[in-house]
Amino acid sequence: MTGKVKNKNKKKSQAAAVWRRLKKNKMAVLGLIILAIIIFFAVFADVFFDYETLVIQQNASLKLQPPSAEHWLGTDEVGRDILARIVHGARISLPVAFATIAIATVVGGLLGAIAGYGSRRVDDVIMRVMDIFLAIPSILLSIALVSAMGTSVTNMMLAISISNIPPFARIVRSAVLTIKNEEYIEAARAIGASDKRIILKHILPNCMAPIIVQATLSIAGSILAIASLSFIGLGISPPTPEWGSMVSTGRQYFRAAWWVCAFPGLAIMLTILSLNLLGDGLRDALDPKLKN
Amino acid sequence: MEEKKQHKTALPEKEPIPSAQAPEALLDIRGLRVEYHTDEDVVYAVNGLDLTIGKGESLGLVGETGAGKTTTALSVLRLIADPPGKIMGGEIWFEGEDMLQAKPARLREIRGSKISVIFQDPMTSLNPVYSVGDQIAEVIHQHEKCSKEEGRRKAGDMLEMVGIPRARYDEYPHQFSGGMKQRVVIAMSIACSPELILADEPTTALDVTIQAQVLELMNELKEKLRTSLLLITHDLGVVAQVCDRVAIMYAGEIVESGTIAEVFDHPHHPYTIGLFGSIPSLDETAEKLKPIQGQMPDPTELPEGCAFAPRCPYATEACRTHKPEMTGVGGTQMVRCLAHQGVFESPELMEEVRHGR
Amino acid sequence: MADKDVILEVRDLKKYFKSPTGTLHAVDGVNFSIRRGETLGLVGESGCGKSTIGRLILGLHQATSGEILFNGQDICKMNKQQLHDLRKDLQIIFQDPFSSLNPRMSIGEIIGEPLRIHGKVHSRTELDKEVSRLMDVVGLSARLFNAYPHELDGGRRQRVGIARALSLKPQFIVCDEPVSSLDVSIQAQVLNLLKDLQAEFHLTYLFITHDLSVVKFFSDKIAVMYLGQLVETADSAELFRQPMHPYSQALLSAIPIPSSRQKMQRVKLIGELQSPIDPEPGCRFAKRCLYAQEGCTGRDLALRGFGNGHFCACCRAGALHEPSISE
Repeated sequence: MTGKVKNKNKKKSQAAAVWRRLKKNKMAVLGLIILAIIIFFAVFADVFFDYETLVIQQNASLKLQPPSAEHWLGTDEVGRDILARIVHGARISLPVAFATIAIATVVGGLLGAIAGYGSRRVDDVIMRVMDIFLAIPSILLSIALVSAMGTSVTNMMLAISISNIPPFARIVRSAVLTIKNEEYIEAARAIGASDKRIILKHILPNCMAPIIVQATLSIAGSILAIASLSFIGLGISPPTPEWGSMVSTGRQYFRAAWWVCAFPGLAIMLTILSLNLLGDGLRDALDPKLKN
Repeated sequence: MEEKKQHKTALPEKEPIPSAQAPEALLDIRGLRVEYHTDEDVVYAVNGLDLTIGKGESLGLVGETGAGKTTTALSVLRLIADPPGKIMGGEIWFEGEDMLQAKPARLREIRGSKISVIFQDPMTSLNPVYSVGDQIAEVIHQHEKCSKEEGRRKAGDMLEMVGIPRARYDEYPHQFSGGMKQRVVIAMSIACSPELILADEPTTALDVTIQAQVLELMNELKEKLRTSLLLITHDLGVVAQVCDRVAIMYAGEIVESGTIAEVFDHPHHPYTIGLFGSIPSLDETAEKLKPIQGQMPDPTELPEGCAFAPRCPYATEACRTHKPEMTGVGGTQMVRCLAHQGVFESPELMEEVRHGR
Repeated sequence: MADKDVILEVRDLKKYFKSPTGTLHAVDGVNFSIRRGETLGLVGESGCGKSTIGRLILGLHQATSGEILFNGQDICKMNKQQLHDLRKDLQIIFQDPFSSLNPRMSIGEIIGEPLRIHGKVHSRTELDKEVSRLMDVVGLSARLFNAYPHELDGGRRQRVGIARALSLKPQFIVCDEPVSSLDVSIQAQVLNLLKDLQAEFHLTYLFITHDLSVVKFFSDKIAVMYLGQLVETADSAELFRQPMHPYSQALLSAIPIPSSRQKMQRVKLIGELQSPIDPEPGCRFAKRCLYAQEGCTGRDLALRGFGNGHFCACCRAGALHEPSISE
């Protein structure tokens, strides 16, 4: 009877402990707040700005207007409101970036764990394949993959994910190699734990720190990669607002109209900053060794 | 006034520990208090510690993990990392000089030349990129003005003194075994003929046959050089083989001190008795050991009265509220226990003390 | 040979590791047997291969050659499934309670893990009940159920390791230096606990250690190991009364005695520990032995019986009867 109560408390208390530790970290809370605001606007974008009239519709008379009371962040080269485009752009950029990194983390992490934990031959095969991918510049790899698979948002996401897998595999592998020699791994083998269980229960939770750091850093890269692919027409096609392509098209007007390029850039920067702050805090909060 | 003072000396517990043969004190620690401050709480590592080491004397400081032994030794050299560590009070007199008042330059002069340290792990206390001879010579050059050749010759002498042939001068630490490395560390520590050596668990990382060799070497050097030694260890056997006197430390305080014969033959403090009960004896075959119950108290919240009271089988209500003082129990032996201070009677404890070992 | 009481028998066990400089003979032709309910103490200095033997018995390393018979079945020839089932009967307690517990798992999860893996319990409630019972058996208070390893001191952590080993109700436990990283007073508590558990659950122990005073207190029989080979085996009291092998003599004489009246009289050894890489045939100890003579090297020596269950691998044993005489 007491067991049941304890159980419920336990699951709760574990999550509560992580939350309590996270709350103590002021920078992580700041990151969380910024991210929450960005996500809030992205979710309710339609309430604030009408997609058709403000985001898509071109209005030559309003082109390249500086920030004003009417257009807080100014307008772009075809007269669209930049704030509206940024807010709606978040609906494209954020999910795509998160999804690509999520795929890369899971696949890369598993490959790295298998390579680090498995036999010499398994390690060799996986890591040499990763080396080949690493040897090709990731943007080139993405371009090649999208061209081969055909242009679509899904294919672009897949391509960016794949090009992000090798760094994850490398980082996880090296973490696994050190953790695998810990005595508790031997202890797990001694009680008859399967390899799958050892990797999932014992090894991966103990290499969370480098994974989280790599993931938060990669999201930035992913947003930029989406921009680059869109720029050469392999990703999201023009009228659709997307942060990366807003920055790259704005670049050519930078001398005359800095706001076209600067504000989307600021949005990317804020997102990445908040993710990094949150990632650092999460890494510490997930470590039970650090006291409450 | 006069009378009062005399009266005071008649009560041994009020005065600092006088040694029977009263050798001139080389190191005299009085009321040392050291704390570690972290974000959350304060660790009371050393709480009012008194300790004297005479010239040429070797004292064993025995205690378990977290008793404050290493902190005490590091305080002598002012090597406590600050933050988080802080020396909160007390005096450390070394050759008539208060180390706690000394300037950094003076401290550097004393470290290595007058007081040297031997650390626990010989594997990490040598620098892997210099030859062992050069590492010894470096210590000599730090503190003495001498030519390169002279330094080399002296370092070679030191190697020979610890039983390593001079021919191995130019070899690197990885070419030495653990025991040999610890010899090199010892050679470094005696290179400037210091007055005092602080040895922090010098043989704990070594195998038993190698430990025996190193202990033998330390005994030889002690005879030859007449250096004072503060040997920190958890191993009562090592203390018995090397030291003249022993001080038992618990939760940042000395709880019992005296000569080896006094403490080992008739331990008085319940903690000391418990320690001896915990070691399996080689002579008798006991079915069960008599360990001390419970764990060391949390150093962030030490008990109010006697720190050992929660684990002590003889403790009374008084022990939980009153701090015991060091009390003489004959000879040079001092004990920090209310039962020996006469606050309460414990026939069981007295029987255990009389029985001895 | 078919002694019904023998629970574990090791026959000519060898384990070689390849190293860049040659073949490391970690375990090199070891024979011994342990009877049900007994404790065999395996003593030796670091690097002598004693821990490797423990891991070979657990099937954590693959033996190079030889047999390990557990209840008559050869562990070395077992397939994965058989090894998995063997875990229920054969467990290990590790040396370092600081690295042998997963820092990300709570005490309750760690102790319960073997039960879940082997499907010994059918519900959460049952699991928690069993874990609580195990915690009680090893003297851990119930409030530590949700605590993490780093919140515990060494003694309590080692109790967690013991509870984990006990959870599957094994017959045999390999104790790999279970108390050597603990403080003396805690060490005594854990040793007493292990003794109580042995009596209560009729356990058999292989007790691996470098601490001779602990092994004397704890073991019925002792095997002394030097560079991958056993040099002497005898009943515990007998070995301490009359060590025959010069290495055993040196080892015993090197123990610092915690007494004001007895000073160490060390049997001197020549030189340093030899390397276990590509050793020459013959007595491995010969190069450090004061009594070494011509016949000691060149041919391998087996353990010889001297009556009373006392075996020694020294070719001059028996002739060197006076133990511990300082040279």
